[in-house]
Amino acid sequence: MSIFLRFIGLGLILVIALLVAVFVGDQGPWYFAWLIGTTMIVLISVAGTVLFDTQSDNHNSTGEF
Amino acid sequence: MDVIHLLVVELSRFQFALTALYHFMFVPLTLGLTFILAAMETAYVITGKEIYKDMTQFWGKLFGINFAIGVATGLTMEFEFGTNWSMYSRFFGDIFGTPLAIEGLMAFFMESTFIGLMFFGWDRLSRGAHLAVTYIVALGSNISALWILVANACMNMPAGAHFDPETMRLTSTSFVALVFNPDAQAKAVHTSVAGFVTASMFVMGISAFYLLRKQHREFAARSFRMAALFGIISTIAVITLGDVLGRLDYEHQPTKVAAMEGLWETSKPPYEPWILFGIPNDKKQTNYLEVGVPFVLTPLLTHDFKTPILGIKELQIQAGPKIESGIQAVSALKRYSENHQQTDLDIFKTHQKDMGYGFLASQYAPDQDVTKIKSEHIPTIVKKTKSDIYPNVFVTFWAFRIMVFLAIYFFIVFAMASYVSLRREIEKHRIFLKIISWSIPLPFIASEFGWITAEVGRQPWTIFEILPTVISSSTHSSGYMIFSLIGFLLLYSIFIAAELFLMFKFARLGPQIHQEQTSSLQTIFTYQKG
Repeated sequence: MSIFLRFIGLGLILVIALLVAVFVGDQGPWYFAWLIGTTMIVLISVAGTVLFDTQSDNHNSTGEF
Repeated sequence: MDVIHLLVVELSRFQFALTALYHFMFVPLTLGLTFILAAMETAYVITGKEIYKDMTQFWGKLFGINFAIGVATGLTMEFEFGTNWSMYSRFFGDIFGTPLAIEGLMAFFMESTFIGLMFFGWDRLSRGAHLAVTYIVALGSNISALWILVANACMNMPAGAHFDPETMRLTSTSFVALVFNPDAQAKAVHTSVAGFVTASMFVMGISAFYLLRKQHREFAARSFRMAALFGIISTIAVITLGDVLGRLDYEHQPTKVAAMEGLWETSKPPYEPWILFGIPNDKKQTNYLEVGVPFVLTPLLTHDFKTPILGIKELQIQAGPKIESGIQAVSALKRYSENHQQTDLDIFKTHQKDMGYGFLASQYAPDQDVTKIKSEHIPTIVKKTKSDIYPNVFVTFWAFRIMVFLAIYFFIVFAMASYVSLRREIEKHRIFLKIISWSIPLPFIASEFGWITAEVGRQPWTIFEILPTVISSSTHSSGYMIFSLIGFLLLYSIFIAAELFLMFKFARLGPQIHQEQTSSLQTIFTYQKG
């Protein structure tokens, strides 16, 4: 049941995201670019630090940053 | 009694510039640091590692100091519109008031309410809920800025507004046009990502300081990595949006573009150089010691190789008929406001698009009343007004260049920082770390000069080609203005001193030492309660 509710919730988010994309993308392309771009910047930054953890595991002996 | 007091206008401008520039020392860091905090907390929620929670809490503490003092500096500015710019507020209030009110009610309240949850909700909310709160704070702070920039964009590129001769005010015709004004879009994103750059340099600079001292190395290296990646993409975005804004200014504010580029004569495509260095002389309308890169200016601004860019001298010639037409518009408007004759309204409507130039000419009219200008004096008034249609070129030219040169510097620094961080070689480059530490103030300086370019470049207008600055201010005495100016100067200097003191103090304490201090404070409180 909880998986089903989660599926419904994610589906709703997807629909809202598509509506926002269609409306804002048409009326305000730079606002839309900001929404997408900021999400991308945050995700790349997080990916960078997760990569840092992986590198730390591999280079544990050197202790260099 | 004269309506225009040039000294009071200049003092009002100086006071607003001072308070706005002081306020904007706090804003970019708030805009950017909230999203860096959100990124750090996202890493905490994804990996479950406590170090990311420590990072979020430590940088959040510095954000809190900046936010608390920054808010205080912003409040006075909203009152200044009423006290020092009452003519502007009366004329433009219907348009300007709406985004300002939305900013206060929607964005600022949202931001302020959730900041409390962000700081005190660590032990009371689940990880996911706290992360959502941090994202709401980040969104709130940026949406808050968006509404201010929507209002500012309408001053640069009026949209969704119409002048009503019955009320003598600009009235709103389309809220959607106001919000989705292309200038608002580009300016909001440019300002927001400029904040990201500022916060990235701030986090990277303090992290570099720790790495140089071999303190909190794990903490600092991770923060450095996140800030470097955050910064490089943000810098690319800020440069892209800068180009978009330049293009919009080229299409809608030719006097600003001509001043930014030090362009006295109309350009000769495609050769026209982009001036790297020069000393513009406003009085002689020429540049000294000019050094430029040929074939760059035309494609940079027009995105082709054949369109000429109008120089200030040609723009002045083009302004002549507009000033004459504007004088007729304002004269007809004045007569209409007194007699309500349809013929006057018809004359006004014929010349309405040049109304602003009529207002601009009114400072040279007898008793500052354009209806009193005799026909034989019109050429003299037009000649005098022509000299006012463009901004101070020296200031606009150099403010723009400082911003651009710094943006290029940021791109190089963030690109190198990302590279050495990804290769885990940060600590090998101690000189580079020192450069980064000393670079912390530079994005603040770039932001300030960005605003100087935008606002000085819009002169002589508060609302471009509609309302001149000379008739926008209140009719205070110059003594009142000097008194309040000194008061603001002292008060805001105390705010800056407090900010710097607290920032240096907590940055030097560092994350672990600070946590220990917090723990000891908690111990004291627990002991007292017990």
